[in-house]
Amino acid sequence: MSRMRMFGSRLVGFFRKLSSDKDLDAEVRSHLQLLTEENIRRGMSLDEARSAARREFGGVEQTKELYREQSGLPFIDALLQDTRFAVRMLAKKPGFALVAILTLAVGIGATSAVFSVVDRILFRSLPYPREDRLVSFGLLAPIESHDFMLGSSYVDFRKQPGPFEAITSMAPGSIDCDVTEQSPVRLSCALVEQTFLPTLGVTPILGRNFTKDEDRPSVPRVALLSYSLWRSRYGGDPGICRKTIFLDGSATQIVGVLPANFEMPTLGPADILLPLALDEQQQRQSQPGRVLRTFARLKPGIDVPRAIAGLQPFFEQALGGAPPELRKEIRLSVQALRDRQVQDARLASWLLLSSVIAFLLVACTNVANLLLARATGRQRELAVRAALGASRSRLVRQTVTESLLLGVLGGALGCAMAQVLLRLLVSIAPEGIPRLEQARLDLRVVAFTFGVALISAAFFGLAPALQHPAPELLIGREVRATVRNFMRQMLVSAQIAISLILLAGAGLLLRSLWNLENTPLGMQTENVLTEAISLGQYRYPKVEQQLVFFAELEARLKRLPGMISVALSDSLPPSGQMRSTIFAAIEVAGRPHASEGTGGAVGWRAITPEYFSALGIPIIQGRGFQKTDRLPTENTIILSETLARKLFPNADPTGQQLRLFRMQSPWRTVVGVAADVKNDGLLANADPEFYLPWKNDPVEFPSAAHVIVRTRMNPRAVAAWVRSEVAELDPTVPVTVETMRQRVGKLADRPRFNAVLLSLFAAMGVLLAAIGMYGVVGFLVAQQTREIGVRMALGASPAGILKMILASVARWTFSGAAMGLLGAWLSARLLESLLFQVRAHDPVLLGLAVLVLLAVAFVAAWIPARRAMRVDPMVALRYE
Amino acid sequence: MTPPRGEVLQGTLDLIVLKTLDALGPLHGYGIAQRIQQVSEDLLKLNQGTLYPALLRLEQRGWITSKWGVSDNNRKAKYYSLTRSGRKQLAAEAESWERMAGIIARLLGAEGA
Repeated sequence: MSRMRMFGSRLVGFFRKLSSDKDLDAEVRSHLQLLTEENIRRGMSLDEARSAARREFGGVEQTKELYREQSGLPFIDALLQDTRFAVRMLAKKPGFALVAILTLAVGIGATSAVFSVVDRILFRSLPYPREDRLVSFGLLAPIESHDFMLGSSYVDFRKQPGPFEAITSMAPGSIDCDVTEQSPVRLSCALVEQTFLPTLGVTPILGRNFTKDEDRPSVPRVALLSYSLWRSRYGGDPGICRKTIFLDGSATQIVGVLPANFEMPTLGPADILLPLALDEQQQRQSQPGRVLRTFARLKPGIDVPRAIAGLQPFFEQALGGAPPELRKEIRLSVQALRDRQVQDARLASWLLLSSVIAFLLVACTNVANLLLARATGRQRELAVRAALGASRSRLVRQTVTESLLLGVLGGALGCAMAQVLLRLLVSIAPEGIPRLEQARLDLRVVAFTFGVALISAAFFGLAPALQHPAPELLIGREVRATVRNFMRQMLVSAQIAISLILLAGAGLLLRSLWNLENTPLGMQTENVLTEAISLGQYRYPKVEQQLVFFAELEARLKRLPGMISVALSDSLPPSGQMRSTIFAAIEVAGRPHASEGTGGAVGWRAITPEYFSALGIPIIQGRGFQKTDRLPTENTIILSETLARKLFPNADPTGQQLRLFRMQSPWRTVVGVAADVKNDGLLANADPEFYLPWKNDPVEFPSAAHVIVRTRMNPRAVAAWVRSEVAELDPTVPVTVETMRQRVGKLADRPRFNAVLLSLFAAMGVLLAAIGMYGVVGFLVAQQTREIGVRMALGASPAGILKMILASVARWTFSGAAMGLLGAWLSARLLESLLFQVRAHDPVLLGLAVLVLLAVAFVAAWIPARRAMRVDPMVALRYE
Repeated sequence: MTPPRGEVLQGTLDLIVLKTLDALGPLHGYGIAQRIQQVSEDLLKLNQGTLYPALLRLEQRGWITSKWGVSDNNRKAKYYSLTRSGRKQLAAEAESWERMAGIIARLLGAEGA
């Protein structure tokens, strides 16, 4: 209590400093006066009385000092004083302050922003309890990018889930579903098993999970709502669980609401969860059954390798009937849920994180270097202060305050920069980076980078105050701090090494990006416009209605001016997502069916005749489709070049008969061969593919459609017309209009993102290294002015002086470059899987990076070194 | 020969000041100093300046308050007076001091015997 009061009145005193000083003055004066009067009364003379009074009173100034210390908060007083002084010192050299603060700010900002993005991907835990036990498991086959299980084996497996505590399954992807009451709306529904939520460890915040009985075929449908749907559409109605909604026209009872942070393990969209309603009997009979995504929770004490071992017998049994060649291509997979989610984002995230940390290192090194340089210049000042009685601890406090001030200013600016950078990152980031929308500026990260910057600033700022200032400094003689010079050169070497690694990495990614963007697509993307259109179940419940819509749209678009070709297709190259089958499913007439495994994936599309001309894909042999091929009686097919060569290595493919899917599908005649087109993204080699004519046949109708338009005019201008044509047919149909160029450009988004960021870090790293180099050389020259003067007076030529300085620069530049080369060589391995048609150890690129860096380093050294050449010996000898 | 003047014991100055104010009522710094000299019969060596930080400390603790007033010879002076909690503190400290003094006296007496 008393201590608090003490602090309180000290705090008050701290702010009332001035008035209380005056009070004390008055008090002391009157005290002295009274003492003097008393002494006079005792018979002293005035002077005697005065000095006696002073003796009796003791030191007036000491009293005031003590009084002041008692009245305020001396620690803060000193701090304020130091800070004021530090601000003055910084303001005196604004260039130094600006560079140091900006360097810190950029380092802190970039690191915090990048870390905030990758933290979600790499480190932050998933929103499930004990998420480290959750795995995704199943089979991996060449035709699917994720693991899966087939319904026929799953229904047996779930009875005895081996190494798993719990397992569950869901239908792959989500389906469009329409709420068909009042204001209809298109939603995403996911079909999940009853065990889905318990396995993930999620409990609804309202209501309950499905029961086993509800997760059966042909029972009244129930649904769980996502939190956001519950809030937005149903206004967070607490009584929602008794309500019935109409989903795609059928009554569905709502039984629960999911927590706000719920997300699907596949990260797919899900507004509503519906029971999967797997029919056990039917699945077992209809080999192979439905494709399912399967997730499980590991039993305690079992890790992934042991789970794989434990699943092996079941796996053998499930594939018992398959031919051995097929089994070779399929393998069992169990992977941590996080690994499944991040997949290829993982490597890119590590890449970004490590490059930004490397950059932070360069930034800290630079600040350290700047501080060291300044410290050396201030030795004399410190010596004077020490001589005037400043204690060591006071000197340390003074210098640390200055460093910290730099750190705080840089850090504050860095936080602002991090916020801006993060927003920038999110906005330029390509689609498909998991959890990007959740990225927030992470305070822990900001605190951490802030701390790193502060510590490095304090550490290097401290160095000069720690050693006792040499008395020689007082008479103006420099004491050469060789140790510190060596340290500064090491720092610059380190900067050069790190920058070289960044530069080499950026070079590889840029080269790879260039290759990627100039990879031949096999088609012409100029003046081509595409529209993706999907028709809702609600407005177009019947396939016939959808066919009519597309036929009408095709006819309308053809009537527009400037059209060269208008085509329909169910999918578009070069992105994947076309329908696919396996090579082994194609049967050639007059040839025994060879069972050699799957033979790999074969893609196919349904197209209208103008597809080839719209995309500029050449027909190599035979002909393209004609109008007559769309007649129900015609059964024709066109092969891609690769597929044709694979099927008919030695024969003319045209006129051959094919049958697909080993089912009751009709025999088809090959009428032509089209040139290969990139059809599985830009990175992968083209898959073999074939084309079927788009018929107005409900059975073969694809679920989604793309319209392709080649025009004589600017495709952007045509886009507006196309939109209005669609709107005239049906204003409620959502349509995505893009030029073909945009579509292709999007595929390179992710590599571009990586390359741009890494290049940015590399460029800033090189810039900082150049600043560091400039600073060190400039400082060396200033320090050696006298030596240079002597040399010149003894007959050294300016060129000789320049050579002398550059020679010492070369020593640490080359040692830095050598370290960097080694580092770049080692780290290139890690980049390998991100590269496209570039060798990780490309000597040309690496050599180029070294050259760029050396050039920059020497230019940065040369500018201050030139100053040495112009030294006037007479001036130099009188220097100091 | 005058006996050597003793230093004011650490921590006793507070007690002395409180007691002085208790005995004489409101007093200015000079008055307190005079009184201490008088009572100790000049045996106590007091740097009168050290009184002021001590007065400030006592005031910060809330044991005394101060007010500007006019002295006997018409001079502006700051008068210090004891507060209620100061009186309590004085009682407590005096008691503890007496106890301590008693212990010391016994100790010394035992030594002598």
